[in-house]
Amino acid sequence: MSSILFRCAALRSVYKLSALPKRAVSTFTLKTQEHKHKSVLNVTSNYLQILPIRCYSDKEPLTLKLIKERVVLVLSLYDKIDPEKLKLESHFYKDLGLDSLDHVEVIMAMEDEFGFEIPDMDADKLNSPKDLIQYIADKEDIYE
Amino acid sequence: MSVSHTRRVQILYKRALRSLGDWYEYRPRYRYEAVLMRDRFDKNRNVKDHREIEALCNAAEQELFETQHPQPRKFPESPGGVAYEREVIPPDWILDYWHPLEKAQYPEFFARREQRKKEYLEKWDVEHGKGSNAH
Repeated sequence: MSSILFRCAALRSVYKLSALPKRAVSTFTLKTQEHKHKSVLNVTSNYLQILPIRCYSDKEPLTLKLIKERVVLVLSLYDKIDPEKLKLESHFYKDLGLDSLDHVEVIMAMEDEFGFEIPDMDADKLNSPKDLIQYIADKEDIYE
Repeated sequence: MSVSHTRRVQILYKRALRSLGDWYEYRPRYRYEAVLMRDRFDKNRNVKDHREIEALCNAAEQELFETQHPQPRKFPESPGGVAYEREVIPPDWILDYWHPLEKAQYPEFFARREQRKKEYLEKWDVEHGKGSNAH
């Protein structure tokens, strides 16, 4: 049991350390390409140097900056929010003039964007873009 | 309108939209139906009578129950989803409860871990002020 736990922890730390860009190209396509275009390979060998990391169906690792960009993008595309008024600290009800049903729509847009459910209990407390970013970062265990 | 009532309507609205999302895969069609649903909610926006509000909410919940989808969509890693709690991540403190003999098998790792704990406590003191030592 303990050795399994240790291995999990060690693997996770290694995974977090390797913040290299990942490319989801399977080894199979690589091999066939190599076989077909051997001459091309010499020219573009730099391009074809692909890291031996496979993501399977994992998503791209999030960062705080990326979360912020995505939250702000989704909010500024919402037709009831004026993108010029939108700031990170602005309150949905007081500053942006949304009502309670609009707030539900905002929360649902965030769920769709980040792919997990936000329970109604938590949704009540998320009253500004800043709160949303913090909540998503906590949920996905992102801290930098 | 009391706060609890607002929350009830919010929950109802969210469930109604999710139910529409289950039925209408095609996104523009779903948006169309969602706008109609929003209009139905907005029509009763100014109802003040408590008894009427109660009746409307009950009727809406009944309708939602009757029109629910047999296989509603769920986010994979949220409650009800296929991958919910699939990956169990052991909490960090479990490592502290290893037997000393087990710890001795990974001396470097645990030495560094103790070092990191000390650094964390120092960082805490810097950020939040020196706490009392009476634990």
